[in-house]
Amino acid sequence: MKNIITLFSFILIITSCDVVEGPYEIDTGNVIPTDTNTYVKKILIEDFTGHTCQNCPSAARELEAIHDLYGDQIIGMALHVSKTFARPYPSSQAPNYQYDFRTKWGKEWDDLFGISGIGLPGGMINRIGYPNEHRLGKDEWLARVISELEKEVDFGISITTNMTENEAVITINTEILNNINGDYNLVVCLSESNIINWQKDGAEDVEDYEHNHALRSLLSDENLSTSSNYTNADNIEQTISVNLNTLEQFNINYSQNTAELGNGNAGGWNVSNMSVIAYIYDNTNQEILQVEEAHLNN
Amino acid sequence: MFKKITYTFIVSFLAINSLAQNNSGEIHGDFDLNMQSYQEDEIIGAKAADEIILNNAYLNINYTKGDFAAGLRYESYLNALMDFDDNYKGNGIPFRYAAYTIDGLEVTVGNYYEQVGSGLIFRSYENKGLGADNAMDGIRLKYSPLKGLYLKSFIGKSRTYFTYAEGIIRGADGEININEALNIESKTRIIVGQGLVSRFQADNNPKFKLPQNVAAYSTRLNIINGGWNYSGEYAIKLNDPISGAAPEGKNWANGNALMSSLTYSKRGFGIVAEMHRVDHMQFRSDRAPEKQYIINYIPTLTKQHTYSLLALYPSATQTEGEFGAQIDVFYKIKKGSLLGGKYGTKMIFNFSRINALNGGNSFLNDDKEHNPMFISIEGEELYYKDINLEIYKKINKKIRVTGVIAKQSYNKDVLEKPGNYGIVESTIAIADISYKIKKGHTVRIELQELLADGGEGSWSMGLAEYTISPHWFFAVQDMYNWGNHDVNKQLHYVNVNCGFLKGANRIAIGYGKKRAGIFCVGGVCKEVPSSNGFSLAISSSF
Repeated sequence: MKNIITLFSFILIITSCDVVEGPYEIDTGNVIPTDTNTYVKKILIEDFTGHTCQNCPSAARELEAIHDLYGDQIIGMALHVSKTFARPYPSSQAPNYQYDFRTKWGKEWDDLFGISGIGLPGGMINRIGYPNEHRLGKDEWLARVISELEKEVDFGISITTNMTENEAVITINTEILNNINGDYNLVVCLSESNIINWQKDGAEDVEDYEHNHALRSLLSDENLSTSSNYTNADNIEQTISVNLNTLEQFNINYSQNTAELGNGNAGGWNVSNMSVIAYIYDNTNQEILQVEEAHLNN
Repeated sequence: MFKKITYTFIVSFLAINSLAQNNSGEIHGDFDLNMQSYQEDEIIGAKAADEIILNNAYLNINYTKGDFAAGLRYESYLNALMDFDDNYKGNGIPFRYAAYTIDGLEVTVGNYYEQVGSGLIFRSYENKGLGADNAMDGIRLKYSPLKGLYLKSFIGKSRTYFTYAEGIIRGADGEININEALNIESKTRIIVGQGLVSRFQADNNPKFKLPQNVAAYSTRLNIINGGWNYSGEYAIKLNDPISGAAPEGKNWANGNALMSSLTYSKRGFGIVAEMHRVDHMQFRSDRAPEKQYIINYIPTLTKQHTYSLLALYPSATQTEGEFGAQIDVFYKIKKGSLLGGKYGTKMIFNFSRINALNGGNSFLNDDKEHNPMFISIEGEELYYKDINLEIYKKINKKIRVTGVIAKQSYNKDVLEKPGNYGIVESTIAIADISYKIKKGHTVRIELQELLADGGEGSWSMGLAEYTISPHWFFAVQDMYNWGNHDVNKQLHYVNVNCGFLKGANRIAIGYGKKRAGIFCVGGVCKEVPSSNGFSLAISSSF
């Protein structure tokens, strides 16, 4: 009897609480430094979004806030997906929501990872947790970013670009930082920031919302190497030549002919606001191991 | 880890099972299967399923022998029905438990469902219709050390789909039945209770100070005297901001909830007067606002309607802030009177009204502090209002009639999604006539009408149901959105169903179109997409 009362009392005692006193925000300075090596762990936050999704801007702001904390170690990508939230409005409702941010690859990744199926906004941090625990609400991103930042880096990626009019030559150099073995792919994408267009933000229709990191194109998704053995200090170089007009036209055609309720209004690319995002992922579990970003027109 | 524990439980369960063959324990179970085909229907916006057919199925098995019990539930989503969250995917045994009782102490290990008081600070439950299941996995103890004193405590993690949320939930509850405890023989019975629940989750947020242990506690009182019954509960949840790096939405304010209900009933008459006030009271198993983490339950105050058009615009408790009141009056006009007729007439009048808290819910961060007035009704944003009268009359041995008339106001921007929809005002009338043709053969007709300008406009609904008891039923129904402002959406949603029941088995098949809408159980609601296809439902128990 005494033991039981003791047990109940014990459980009552541990059922405790903390009361936090303000100020609640911690002054972290500018950026929290986590590593001083040449190559540091970088993290891709894929933010699945839509211009008529009223809660999506808060996810974009969370992404920016995490970027403010960790600086260039955080690389964002906004993927506009789904008919419900990303389709352009019919022309009868112009000028509201006439642009089509959707891309073929955004749809393919959304289908693969099933993000919009459980509601937007939603995202992935380096695609960790696939296939069951990779879909995260925006308030779950930071905790996973913190645990990812603690991981060791096996790859260092550097990007160089050379633009001539609408022709871009992009060179990705991957330096192997440890002796490792695995099945890895290298992905190269284009994104664009500072796109001013419509966005629902809560109950508001914001005409001049700034869309950042919007995925524009997938340039390559191929095996990093024909071998599965990687030796420390080896370098792998891949060069891609692309014509931006062709890529832009591809998206226009996609919106016109393939995307559900698309309208072909997917052009107007501004090269000076575009970035190259390159990342390496593990083919066995989709985990992104390293990512890098560079301005296309630097 | 999850699989390993499950495996151990299955092995133990099978061992117990084989033992049971010799020692005559009892095994009971129930099985439930819901299969549906999905075809594209552009007009109603229904999507086809790549799999053509989707299927949810469950099997519960419970073994009991004396004071020992063990059980498990197998769940199968191949793949989950479209109105279910995609996170329900594949097969598994997410629920398994063992329990025994000895000398008044009940010990449960593994999964369990539990509730503290009316659920204001904690409710772990499952509702397959809603796709909700936040079963706990851990340890629970229940004990009654003295007559009239009931104690329980628990610790565990809360289920989210096929995994568990990060937070560790600890809880304790004590309830005293004063009359039992003090041996008081009185007409008045008093029961008091106190509950405490706390969530632990490590704080590794570099940007904000977050509490690692978040507590919620509640006190409740129940007084019963003859036909009178008062029940009240007050709960407080201490600071519980969401995580993340952006300051947006971070709120360190305490939450609170009060519910109070007074009932009087005697033969042929009953009245229930209720109020509740809810302020920043959503409690979750993780510092994220997603619905799968919710571990408390604020009972909805409004009447839970079952007729389709009465439930077209349902109310759901706004756990972050609302004030509401409801009155429910039941009266039976006596047999033999002018209005009562030969069998008497039952009347139920109900009125409820829910509005926003003054200036919104309690809020506290570095820049803003707000505490709403305790009671404020006049001038506050209306969330929901429902005034309805239901009359039930048995005309003769063959005919029974139910009539309902209602007027509802529904704040679509709050109860569904932000926008500029405004308040949907609707007037609804329903006639439900049941006619017994001969022994075992009954036909039932429902006619429903909803008149509204806002929302999707006006609707009509008709249902004919033929029952040959105890084995068969056939039903056909049509919901017609004739008043939709978009002429292309003035559509019929026809459903045909038939079912066969024999012994412990029930099989139902159907075909039809469902409209996209909001489906609620007990004030917990989910969005349901439109669909077009065949359905098969099988349930069975042993």
